[in-house]
Amino acid sequence: MNNILKVNNLCLSINSNNKEEEILKNINFEINKSEVVSLIGESGSGKSLTALSIIRLLEKSCCIKKGEIIFTNKNILKIQEKEMREIRKNDISMIFQEPMRSLNPIMNIYSQIKESFVNKINKNLTEKILNLLVSVGIHDAERVINLYPHQLSGGMKQRIMIAMAIACKPKLLIADEPTTSLDVTIQKQVLDLLLELKEKLNMSILFITHDLAVASQISDRIIVMKDGKIIENSLSKNFFTSPENSYSKELLKSSVYKRNINNSINYNSNNILDVTNLKVYYKEKESFLLNKYIYTKAVDGINISIKPGMTHAIIGESGSGKTTIAKAIMGLTSITAGKIKILNKDISELNSSKKRDFRKNYQMIFQDPFSSLNPRMRIGAIIKEGLCFLKPEINNHDVNLILNDVIKNVGLKYDSLYKYPHEFSGGQRQRIAIARVLVLNPKLLICDEPTSSLDVTVQEQVLDLLSNIQNKRNISYLFISHDIKLISNISDTISIMNKGKIVESGKTSDIINKPENEYTQKLLNSVPEINRIL
Amino acid sequence: MFVYLLTDIFFYLIIISLLIYILYVRRTPDMLRTWSYVFKNKTGIISIVVLSFFMLIAFFDSIHVKKKILNNDTNQFIYSNDIQSLLDIILLPTYENFEKSYSSPFSSKLYSKETIKLKDGSEKRIYPGLAYKGNHNKYSKNISANLVITAILSLVKSFIIFLFFYLIIFYRTLYERKNNIFYNFKNNNILCITFYILLFIFLLLYDLSTQYYVLGTDKVGVDVLYKSIKSIRTGILIGTLTTIVMLPFAIFLGIFAGFIGGIVDDIIQYIYTTLNSIPSVLLIASAILILQVHMANNPLNFENIYERADLRLFFLCMILGLTSWTGLCRLLRGESMKLREVEFVQASQTFGLNKFSIIIRHIIPNIMHIVIITVVLDFSALVLAEAVLSYVNIGVDPTTYSWGNMINDARLEMSREPVVWWSLFSAFLFMFILVLFANLFADVVRDAFDPRASKKYE
Repeated sequence: MNNILKVNNLCLSINSNNKEEEILKNINFEINKSEVVSLIGESGSGKSLTALSIIRLLEKSCCIKKGEIIFTNKNILKIQEKEMREIRKNDISMIFQEPMRSLNPIMNIYSQIKESFVNKINKNLTEKILNLLVSVGIHDAERVINLYPHQLSGGMKQRIMIAMAIACKPKLLIADEPTTSLDVTIQKQVLDLLLELKEKLNMSILFITHDLAVASQISDRIIVMKDGKIIENSLSKNFFTSPENSYSKELLKSSVYKRNINNSINYNSNNILDVTNLKVYYKEKESFLLNKYIYTKAVDGINISIKPGMTHAIIGESGSGKTTIAKAIMGLTSITAGKIKILNKDISELNSSKKRDFRKNYQMIFQDPFSSLNPRMRIGAIIKEGLCFLKPEINNHDVNLILNDVIKNVGLKYDSLYKYPHEFSGGQRQRIAIARVLVLNPKLLICDEPTSSLDVTVQEQVLDLLSNIQNKRNISYLFISHDIKLISNISDTISIMNKGKIVESGKTSDIINKPENEYTQKLLNSVPEINRIL
Repeated sequence: MFVYLLTDIFFYLIIISLLIYILYVRRTPDMLRTWSYVFKNKTGIISIVVLSFFMLIAFFDSIHVKKKILNNDTNQFIYSNDIQSLLDIILLPTYENFEKSYSSPFSSKLYSKETIKLKDGSEKRIYPGLAYKGNHNKYSKNISANLVITAILSLVKSFIIFLFFYLIIFYRTLYERKNNIFYNFKNNNILCITFYILLFIFLLLYDLSTQYYVLGTDKVGVDVLYKSIKSIRTGILIGTLTTIVMLPFAIFLGIFAGFIGGIVDDIIQYIYTTLNSIPSVLLIASAILILQVHMANNPLNFENIYERADLRLFFLCMILGLTSWTGLCRLLRGESMKLREVEFVQASQTFGLNKFSIIIRHIIPNIMHIVIITVVLDFSALVLAEAVLSYVNIGVDPTTYSWGNMINDARLEMSREPVVWWSLFSAFLFMFILVLFANLFADVVRDAFDPRASKKYE
């Protein structure tokens, strides 16, 4: 027998409101020795619940209806909790999505890792921990061992999590979206580390992700889940060359999003947005008594210019200051130096009432559609808000006409106007957020990671909507994103940001194909690509 | 003639704002859904019925009238100096006559022996019989048989009244207006049963009060049950009026501190930290003393003793409110700081909305759940605070009926042998019921409004 884990006919339901909801329906799969299996699916497809039922950490409301999970000839679902603890300690480990929340903030790294060695011979414990840290690629292990989680970066924390998980040399490692909250360069390091450890320890990995590209990098076999069912289970190379299921095809298609290119950009016309030498510093008092300040340079001397109908993208990892630019342009944060010109008007020179009038020309779409809509207002009121404040001359009848028009434009039903935000899904909410700014007819739209919290297929729909609007109304976009792969397909020009500075900018095709800057090259190399040639 | 005392007016205002809030909730679907959780919850519906019963009593006790009497000398109608409430008129049989001194519950004699001159001139030390009640068994000579008959009679009476109400109100909601929020309530039975039990208790006590002193009499022979019922208004007023005083401070200062930040935040934080560090008993004591000096210096401003007592009650609410807003203020400051960074607030900033409209449109609706939870939780704490303050003599006026005053009076009698326990017991009993149900209600409300609490709809 070659397989280490076998899941047979697993069915799981969640009890809520005295109603049973079937979440997992007849899950069947197996994992062979030292094999990496990726579980792919959109949010709510039941992939995390599958993993949790393997390690038996389900919540009380979940109830396994039937089926068996056989791990090294034992049915995990039948054994005692005490025996299960032994298995968790020795044979199955798990890495979670958020390294920030998985580590206890008041324990240092030494004591965190020590926990994984509980009840084992404690000789040379420090040495063992140091070796472990070195094996996950932390070279100054002596220093790190005494630090606390908040002193480490996200990537380091995820390494610590991996170190804890492999401390007992498990036979199976379950990784639940271990790289989703990490930047691409760190993501690559973590993936490489996992592959290296797999070879070294000869363990199997169950890798849960929503990102096909990441899965293609690491896995031997791909399992696609949708609505609690496995709809495809095939070897990696077969899957990426010729997926069987139509949903898998759709997934593959959306992960390489292509925009209908808008060729009507007039490069000779006036710039819609002109940012020159923008600086945003945050000052902090160094000590309570002295009048000294420390400056954090969030944005340090940025130049951007955008033509009408053009899409410009700013790309950078977290902490590079890209969102601060958006906020500075929108006036949500004060700027230290520099000029922001929109439609040839310096917005810092406008007085407040004129500025309010002028605001209808530039608007912003936020990252998280779940927090960008007031949960206590109806959709109609949300969309109307900006319109009523910025264009008070429009009468009620016209407002209703505009609302009906815009709600149709973003692909929602008319009766959505009378609903509340919680009745909509993430993608629909983002459409509402788009509708809210569209009613103002802006010339410039700043999109701050508008798709990063959405599933891939929904992401595609939202991007389609944005590009249709651009073609119709000739709006310019300033896209802010960390996803260079996605952005290279939708933007005309691109700026790469690192530590508050633009390191390279130019036409998208130039930068993607022949990056000159070292950082850009590193960024591009770290991006997981679906390798079709395999 | 109707008389409006200061606290009456505020009590009416509270009732009116409660009604407005109910109307508002009925028109807002998501609020309606949250509140319907409270109504569908067993504990919730029971405590709502009990609390509204208390509220009703307090409301009847807040409608004051002056009696018209005929002046025999001038043959003209004049208004008496005595102010009565509607509740007093309803409860007339319980307090129209006074006994001489203490008597225990259901007793027919006084509690202490007295020397009585008999008809033949000899003197004897006996327990004298009560003058007005205790000896008039209505239905049977035997006291226990009499009690049973009274109970059965009130059971029947309350059932008839209950049926009447049931047919009018519940029939309408159950069968005629199917889209009504009351329709399809699983706990309609519980609502009815609670209502029925309360009605029964009320009628039973009423009937018994015409025959006995159910909870005994106090030192000057006043029915203790009557005193306890009259104290309900004081307790509820302190619980609600104080919150009304406290809310504007807490909400506005909290939001300004959290949302505007900077120097405004510093100043507001400074104020509430200072206020918090002064012992509130000290503040309350000094404020009440100042008021007493003021009243002693200007006796002409007050028509009668009721107005003085009422002003003191009002003042107590004010000063309690002024000292208790800091906790809620701090909570709201934190919450609005959080909301300031949320994207929908930033989105409206990009529309150029000014700070005031953002506060009204976005911040206040999103912090109301905290306000409601705190208000309901604070209510019971304030009722208890009144008892403590009256006990140390800085609470309400000694002439005002209140549980704190009852406990204070009973304190001296605890050392006498045999002990006079009923005064303390009935104050405890009524306060316990009110605070218990207020707390149960608060629990359910918190479950309903707290987004993190696990909710079971239906």
